[in-house]
Amino acid sequence: MSQALVDLVREKFPEAVTASHSHRGDEVVTIRREDLVAVMTFLRNDPQTDLKLLRQIVGIDLLTYKKEMTGGGALASIEVPEYDLQKKSPVEPRFYVAYNLYSITRKHALRVRVDLRSDDVKVPSITSLYRTADWWERYTYDMFGFEFTGHPNLKRLLMYPEFVGHPLRKDYPVRKRQPLVPELDFPDLIRGPGPGPGGAGVPMSQTHVGRKNVDPSTYD
Amino acid sequence: MTERSNAPAQDTDPLSLDAEMPSALMTVNLGPSHPAMHGTVRMTVTLDGETIVHVDPEIGFLHRGFSKSSENSTWHQVLPYTDRLNYVSPILNNTGYIMGVEKLIGLKPTERAEYLRVLGGEICRICDHLTCIGAIGLELGAFTVFLYAMEARELFWDRIAELCGARVTVSWTRIGGVATDMPPGWDQKLRDILPRVIELTNEIDTLLTRNRIFVDRTRGIGVISGDEAIDWGFTGPCLRACGVNYDVRKAHPYSVYDRMDFEIPLGTRGDTYDRYVLRLEEIRQSHRIILQCLEQMPPGPIIIDDWRYALPPKKEVFGSIEGVMAHFKLIMEGIQVPAGEVYVYTEGANGELGFHIVSNGTGKPYAIQLRGPGLPILSAMPRLIQGHAVADLIPVFDSINMIGGEVEQ
Repeated sequence: MSQALVDLVREKFPEAVTASHSHRGDEVVTIRREDLVAVMTFLRNDPQTDLKLLRQIVGIDLLTYKKEMTGGGALASIEVPEYDLQKKSPVEPRFYVAYNLYSITRKHALRVRVDLRSDDVKVPSITSLYRTADWWERYTYDMFGFEFTGHPNLKRLLMYPEFVGHPLRKDYPVRKRQPLVPELDFPDLIRGPGPGPGGAGVPMSQTHVGRKNVDPSTYD
Repeated sequence: MTERSNAPAQDTDPLSLDAEMPSALMTVNLGPSHPAMHGTVRMTVTLDGETIVHVDPEIGFLHRGFSKSSENSTWHQVLPYTDRLNYVSPILNNTGYIMGVEKLIGLKPTERAEYLRVLGGEICRICDHLTCIGAIGLELGAFTVFLYAMEARELFWDRIAELCGARVTVSWTRIGGVATDMPPGWDQKLRDILPRVIELTNEIDTLLTRNRIFVDRTRGIGVISGDEAIDWGFTGPCLRACGVNYDVRKAHPYSVYDRMDFEIPLGTRGDTYDRYVLRLEEIRQSHRIILQCLEQMPPGPIIIDDWRYALPPKKEVFGSIEGVMAHFKLIMEGIQVPAGEVYVYTEGANGELGFHIVSNGTGKPYAIQLRGPGLPILSAMPRLIQGHAVADLIPVFDSINMIGGEVEQ
């Protein structure tokens, strides 16, 4: 149904489109990163496409996509050990960002995909085109660490600012724990001043008996 | 003061009668745990007097790593996580996810299962809308409305408990069908409670819709135009309240919605009041769908007979070698879903519920990412509430019906 849409993008931006495919009725065009804003502007504003609703921005990490990396066909409970990931040659381009677009008036959908190499994860922001892109880009930045250049307020959406790393990357271990966040040293109306000198920087839970010697940096 | 009374009043003099009141912007924290905040959301509100200058919603307190957990579970193990995305309408979430897996496989569930899913889904939609309306009423001082809504919801949740075995976290759908069929006599029980639910809905209608206080508090508050709402990514009741006719059930009928006769109510103003009235009307439309489901539902199996995807019946597991093998493979390895990438979308209670699912052909999903309908709507809170009084924050926040589970995953 939306194949016409893919053809239209190919016709308008012959150099920008590097690949396109269709799977189970979902049309996908892969475009070059530098043409993203131009293509998205066209898709949003052209009356033929009219893709005014940005449903979602997703990031995908292809690091362990090959079947042998997830123990394909073997017991589902087996996890890929960390050292295995380092031994294998890296997959490039490792990431991609996908934009799920939809047109309410024309009832067609298109997925725009931009491939990213692991050493350069910058993507132009489309917050000027779609207001809803603001939070979705923050979400994708939070989970994958993609830098959306031009985003007005690129900070984590779901995780807290002290969180280190990006949890949905495939090399982020599932069971990894992070140190507790130290209590901020500012006066509290009820409890009085914060931990102050000596106590500052130590999480409350670690100041209790028996946990004093836990070094927050190694606590995981 | 006696000395000053002789001097002519000057505008710059802070003590003169005509001087402006000194005002500075004040920042107030609402939440993360505040009686008026649903779930744990923190709103940093900048106030000028009582007028809201800016709101900065901060989410993530309820983040449980839905995507990461799903990537490390088998396809069926993801199902209980989807219950907890929107705990008021779990069957809608179950169906949305399972439809994604079925789309990847290219599988079609049995006809009876389709009807059961629609039936369960519409019951959940009513529960969700009742919860939203009850909460709006509660927080505007109409406690009776809340009690009426809860009574109606309880009636449904009792039926859901009889159908699925659990009230809230039902995990009821399965790949290729559903887990349990209607118990004997259940459909009559459901028919018996429906008039009471509609009666309660009408009570709420008469209590609120033409209530002067309620109308004053909601009409013209949190207004957004249709074009702008699309730009912000609105879907569901909040978008339709602006007059935009987009409902996945009508635009792209999935399951058996194409055989159902129902209407999509539309608002005109896009304010809090329209969002409330629209939900009330959707309850009546869902009631129509439930009745049609009960009438049209054909007899037959509730799950497909394909042991690559559905568990074999226990009689076969204990009685035949093929049954044992299929059971063992499904439990230990999980179903094997062909490689591919799909985006599947259904009409959740609060808008388009989307799952972006990637499979690499193994027993686990390679990636699952959620489009919770509440996330884009919550991100527009600063736009909706700007310029209104701080007391209006609560009704507007209620009317978008943000559910922490699906927004914060």
